[in-house]
Amino acid sequence: MIQLQNIFKWYNTANRPTFILKDVSLTIDEGAFLSIMGPSGSGKTTLLNIMGMLDQPSEGSYHFMGQDVFNLKEKQRKELYKQYIGFVFQAYHLLDELTVYENIETPLLYQGVKSAERKAMVGDMLDRFRIVGKKDLFPSQLSGGQQQLVGVVRALISKPKLILADEPTGNLNSTQGEEIMQLFQQLNKEEGVTIVQVTHSEKNAAFGNRIIQLLDGQVQD
Amino acid sequence: MFRNYLKVGLRYLLKHKGYTFINVLGLAVGITAAILIMLFVRSEHSFDRFHSKADRIHRAWLQEFYEGQIFTNVVTPVPLAPLLQENLAEVETVSRVAGIGAPIHHRGNIFNYPVTMVDSTFFDIFDFELIKGNRQNPFPSKNSIILSEEAATLFFGNISPIGETLELEIGGEKRLFTVSGLTKNVPYESSIQFGLLIPFSNAVHIWSDYVRTSAWSNVSVETYVLLKEGADPAKVNAKIPSFMQPLVAGNYKAGEYNVRLQPLTDIHLDNTLPAGMVAPSNPLYSYILATIGILILLIACINFITLSVGRSATRALEVGVRKVLGAERRQLIWQFWGEALLLTLSALLLGVLLAYLLLGQFNQLANREFVLNADVFTLLFCFSLLILIGLFAGSYPALVLSSFRPVQVLKGKVRTRGMGLFGKGLVVGQFVASIIMIICTITIGRQLHYLQQKDLGFEREHNVIVPTNQQGSAAALLANRFIAALEKNPQVIDATTSLYSMAEYGWMQLGYKDDKDVFRLFRFNVIDPDFVKAMDLEVVEGRNFMEGNPADSNAILVNEALVKEYGWDDPIGRKLPGAYPQQIIGVVKDFHFESLHTSIKPVVMALKPDAFFENSSDVSYDYSPRPRISVKFRGGNAQEHIALLRENWKEVAGDQEFEYRFLDDALNAAYEQEQRLGNIVQYASLLSIFIACMGLFGLATLVVQRRTKEIGIRKVLGANVSTLVGMLTKDFVVLVLLASVIAFPVAWLVLKRWLQDFSYRIDISWDVFLLAALVSVLVALLTVSYHAIRAALKNPVHSLRTE
Ligand SMILES: Nc1ncnc2c1ncn2[C@@H]1O[C@H](COP(=O)(O)OP(=O)(O)OP(=O)(O)O)[C@@H](O)[C@H]1O
Ligand SMILES: [Mg+2]
Repeated sequence: MIQLQNIFKWYNTANRPTFILKDVSLTIDEGAFLSIMGPSGSGKTTLLNIMGMLDQPSEGSYHFMGQDVFNLKEKQRKELYKQYIGFVFQAYHLLDELTVYENIETPLLYQGVKSAERKAMVGDMLDRFRIVGKKDLFPSQLSGGQQQLVGVVRALISKPKLILADEPTGNLNSTQGEEIMQLFQQLNKEEGVTIVQVTHSEKNAAFGNRIIQLLDGQVQD
Repeated sequence: MFRNYLKVGLRYLLKHKGYTFINVLGLAVGITAAILIMLFVRSEHSFDRFHSKADRIHRAWLQEFYEGQIFTNVVTPVPLAPLLQENLAEVETVSRVAGIGAPIHHRGNIFNYPVTMVDSTFFDIFDFELIKGNRQNPFPSKNSIILSEEAATLFFGNISPIGETLELEIGGEKRLFTVSGLTKNVPYESSIQFGLLIPFSNAVHIWSDYVRTSAWSNVSVETYVLLKEGADPAKVNAKIPSFMQPLVAGNYKAGEYNVRLQPLTDIHLDNTLPAGMVAPSNPLYSYILATIGILILLIACINFITLSVGRSATRALEVGVRKVLGAERRQLIWQFWGEALLLTLSALLLGVLLAYLLLGQFNQLANREFVLNADVFTLLFCFSLLILIGLFAGSYPALVLSSFRPVQVLKGKVRTRGMGLFGKGLVVGQFVASIIMIICTITIGRQLHYLQQKDLGFEREHNVIVPTNQQGSAAALLANRFIAALEKNPQVIDATTSLYSMAEYGWMQLGYKDDKDVFRLFRFNVIDPDFVKAMDLEVVEGRNFMEGNPADSNAILVNEALVKEYGWDDPIGRKLPGAYPQQIIGVVKDFHFESLHTSIKPVVMALKPDAFFENSSDVSYDYSPRPRISVKFRGGNAQEHIALLRENWKEVAGDQEFEYRFLDDALNAAYEQEQRLGNIVQYASLLSIFIACMGLFGLATLVVQRRTKEIGIRKVLGANVSTLVGMLTKDFVVLVLLASVIAFPVAWLVLKRWLQDFSYRIDISWDVFLLAALVSVLVALLTVSYHAIRAALKNPVHSLRTE
């Protein structure tokens, strides 16, 4: 599903490049549950953003579902992204002005899904994750764990094939974190969703079926 | 999708109430100003456009070159209209319009209601609405009269006036007129005003055959011409000399006597020609007003933008998240512009409401009777405001925020530290405009004060003018009886008769060729011997006229300006070289018989007018020469003075309307336009500084919010409240000072130009600039320090914990 080849990423600071990713090559098969670990500043988020097409490498190539991502037109890349990828953040990043229901609905709006269909899809999700009772609440009225659950549901609503999660449990206590991890595992096993997560916790990393270590921008397999 | 935007927009606006309130109120106030000013500017530009043939109607005007001087007149010779009709194939029809003095005798009273004499084609050319009567044949006979509703009510109350009669005194004889028509009142936006119309055939009673058929240097009527469809006015203008010149060849060389056509719709805003029935407006004033309106709107829009910039950190995160969720930039642009439009719409509704509520005050300010109607133009205007303001004010979030890239904002990279150069520039811009307006307000106010208290060379207080509205010996008789009655009263210091009083700015102008063939112009008045004393004029050389001295009827008084013009050292005993037999017996100190816009011109005052008119080659006047009585009181209650005058008037002229004017009111009327401008600029500067401060207040809120943690840390480290307040306010004060520096030269240039309209004016003094800067800094300081002090007083434990 994902093939990264010789990815380099550098920034020019004080007129000389600082490397953040150095020659990263990585293949992730469909149905994988990959955990990326590594010390702070090692480039985990950068790598994840490149996979999620939010960022571009300075060098290297990226094939996603057989398509050469960086040779696609902006519009096509955006379509690819909208169709297949969902993001989950450490800080949840729910939209404060929207209710739980509306937060979950938003990606569908941007995909141009019809109103009736949207209603059905969001309704399904709310049922499935047992948050129907919370649908009219605003993010500020939820606990951290509940917010992250909504964040995950929002990432899932467009039925993505790949979920990219940047320290999804970073702001949660261990019980809340474990619930989210179990959810990921379930999605991965039962629905075949590919999951790539960044985590600092060995325990959470173990939920996946593959772990890679990133150190100074290099994969330490 | 749209519903979603609307929902988010509304929630966002409701959640940040303070921000919304400041934005909406600022914009609303700006919109109110814009709407009110629009009413004014629209009215100014809509004059005479209600006639369906307006684009084909022209007014003839006259330009004469005579002895190196140019005379322009919109009043034309009586025979001009038929002449144009006969000689120009392009002319469809013509009508003369002449205001005549015709006292109206009605039920034992005499009214001085203006009477207008027009040709029967009047209603073919103009669209004035005839409620009753026949447009094709408005005057069935020579003695028909048409009334406006106002005149009808005045004379006949509520009964239908058709068939009723009025007695008009024309050419010294009372003539009976029968009402044949009723018109709607003439709209304010008309350069032709009338209340009573009579047919032009009555001209035979007023002017001699000669005047009516061939007196080309005698101007008495306005001439209106309706051109045929498709006729080119420029070509018509070019044809006139061919038949005009032969008629005036005796007195004028080719090109010295020019008749031209002026489009009807140009009349009101062309102040290069003299006033006709209605004084034209200075077009500059509607431009100034429009500029002020745009400035205030701009200041309000800038508020919106600076506040958006201040909030951008929060909104940027939303942009990032939405983009991650699949939003495209275009969709975000729509969202932000949608929000801006929503906010502008609320501001528009509030602004219209405010405009509606303040219309009365504005009408007072502008001395008009505007109404706010939901007509197509107004709706279109409001709609354009909505779109323009929405697009402009929302441009920052829509174009800048929407371009943020998620990787950056989600990492928290977009941190707008301080206000940013852009935000600062906008704040400076707002204050530049505000400070300019403050400086103008103060300076205009000072100039007006100067005009009102300047020593005019005569006494202006406690002086009442009563016009006789009569001519010749009848007027003199009336005046003498009135004065005799008044002088028995201890409250009356003096009463005097003169052809013109000090209240008429524009005495009769006479011109003649002196013995060296130099063309001389001077202002002329006929006075009685009491005039000099009653007006407190100072005789600097020679003596005043003496009562009962027959020799004095052959003498004149002149002013210093005349002596100077002729370059005399010993004026007493001299005659004006050339034409006049009278000897100068005294010189009076210069006094301002005209407004302070102009410098003092030569003046001649005599006891008898006759010899002067005969010997002058040029006579012109703005006010009809009818004796006026000036009464000087000892001070005290003005209402009592009027009551006293009215009482005595009743006794000596019971059948005639009593009119009066306070001299100081009449004098101040000359500066009415400036006074009104001053008031409007004053309100505008208050508004603009108010709006700018609201923006500043909002910005300060955001800045202080952003620096809460820093303030907390500094406090823990031992900073005291005053240093903290100083730190927080310093930036803002610097901005306002910078704005002052930019505003100064601009204000100076604007005011210098404005003051040039006055021959007598104040100097622009530096303390005004200092004052304006000080006021702005203080207001800004007050605005900002509210937040600064609150933040500085906060217990640091709270602010540090919340992060
Ligand atoms: N625009 C930039 N310019 C220069 N350096 C940058 C820029 N963006 C990121 N970096 C640097 O790149 C490195 C990798 O950042 P990244 O966010 O990928 O690390 P991370 O592994 O996710 O760390 P953490 O565990 O703290 O989230 C960091 O050292 C960061 O300082
Ligand atoms: Mg990271």
